[in-house]
Amino acid sequence: MKYHILMVLTGTLILASCTTTQTVDACSVSLSSNVAAAMRQVEEKLSDGCVYSFDHYVAQLLDTAAENPDSDNKRLFSDFLVRVSDQGLISKRQASSIYNRYFNVKFVALTGEYNNCSQTCPVRRKVLADMQTELLDKELGLVRASQDNASYYRADHLLKETQLVLEATCRACEAGSL
Amino acid sequence: MQANDSNTTWEETMKNPGLIQAICLGILLNACLIDTAGAKPTGPTMRLFPTTVLEDIRETSQVAEEMENNIQNVITRLDLQQQLFTESQCAGADEDPGCERIARQLGSTYLEMLNVMSERLPDMERAVTNTKTSLEKRLRTELGQKSTATSLQDALLGTVAQATSDESPIALRGRSGVRLSDRFKEYYDLVATRQTGNSQSLAVIASDIYLDMDEAARLIAATQEEIARATLMEQLNQSFGQITPEMAAVVSGVKTILFGESVDAPPVASVPFLAGDVPFVSPLEI
Repeated sequence: MKYHILMVLTGTLILASCTTTQTVDACSVSLSSNVAAAMRQVEEKLSDGCVYSFDHYVAQLLDTAAENPDSDNKRLFSDFLVRVSDQGLISKRQASSIYNRYFNVKFVALTGEYNNCSQTCPVRRKVLADMQTELLDKELGLVRASQDNASYYRADHLLKETQLVLEATCRACEAGSL
Repeated sequence: MQANDSNTTWEETMKNPGLIQAICLGILLNACLIDTAGAKPTGPTMRLFPTTVLEDIRETSQVAEEMENNIQNVITRLDLQQQLFTESQCAGADEDPGCERIARQLGSTYLEMLNVMSERLPDMERAVTNTKTSLEKRLRTELGQKSTATSLQDALLGTVAQATSDESPIALRGRSGVRLSDRFKEYYDLVATRQTGNSQSLAVIASDIYLDMDEAARLIAATQEEIARATLMEQLNQSFGQITPEMAAVVSGVKTILFGESVDAPPVASVPFLAGDVPFVSPLEI
């Protein structure tokens, strides 16, 4: 009797593990080395309900683009993100954030609608640290994936100028609040 | 006949107020279009350098120049005496009467320098503080209170994108080998000549000058505190004819402030990078 119970439990566990494996396999994908084709593969997966893997797909696509650098990759990513946001798979804000983080000179980390004294200065160090991290992502998107060195250097230059201007501005804000 | 025709047309035109208005509007529109095409895109207007700030910078330059002129001779004499002291191998030769005489002369010149400094520093302090305070106010208002992070980024990026190769590089912090008065003259020229240009680069220049002034104000305050003590110490040393490392350090500090004889960190801002081709513009761009 005990032997039968043990067999049943083992069988259940095996089935459960198979089911889990099937779910993972359903969303994992080996991407083509062609960036446009890889994007189509990802779009199919997203349509099949794998939206939760979106961030992972983007990372995979960026790696693929870095392995196959081309100045057109920037446009391909933009079109891809516009398509998936139009399909409602991700929000427009998310699409914009991803594109700008990797492919634009401007920094997503340096945005805000309130004045600098009240919003930016209190978190200046964090903003600059986030910009520094974002610059690494821009290196991947602009230099390694898109071969757009000029834009990357502009972003680097912008970061340095921002450091200088924020240091002065925030010091002036502090002096005014004393 | 043709002349008559054209006269008739002119007269008809003059009689038609609607047509005149249309022509005037056309001329105005053309003027606007030509102006827009010819003007540099300036982005948000920032009044960082009103006349008062410019005057403060110019005055600081003048005060610095006066101080330099007064102290230059003393510093040169100090350098020569120091050189003589070293070449005569006087270091440690306390008993040598010749060395003692050189040391006393050196100490006396050092006292002279401290006197000039104590006479001139209050003026310098006032000028630097005025420049710092007026710039501080402008920075706080224009960049701190009227700008957001987004608009600041737009303004700064405008500088990098719009700068052309015929523009001189913008101000740099911590430049070595530049006399204080020359630095202020450069600041003044830089700001005065860029008043009509885009306001974006002025944000960097204003920040640059302000941080420099803040540092200078602190250095001047610290130097003033030290001068009284150093004077007393040297008056005592004159009795014994000693050259102290402190003397060398103070002279070196003065030379650094006034004549920029130290090597600093590389400049923060440099020649902007220019993208050659027309870049791809995504609809997703912020």
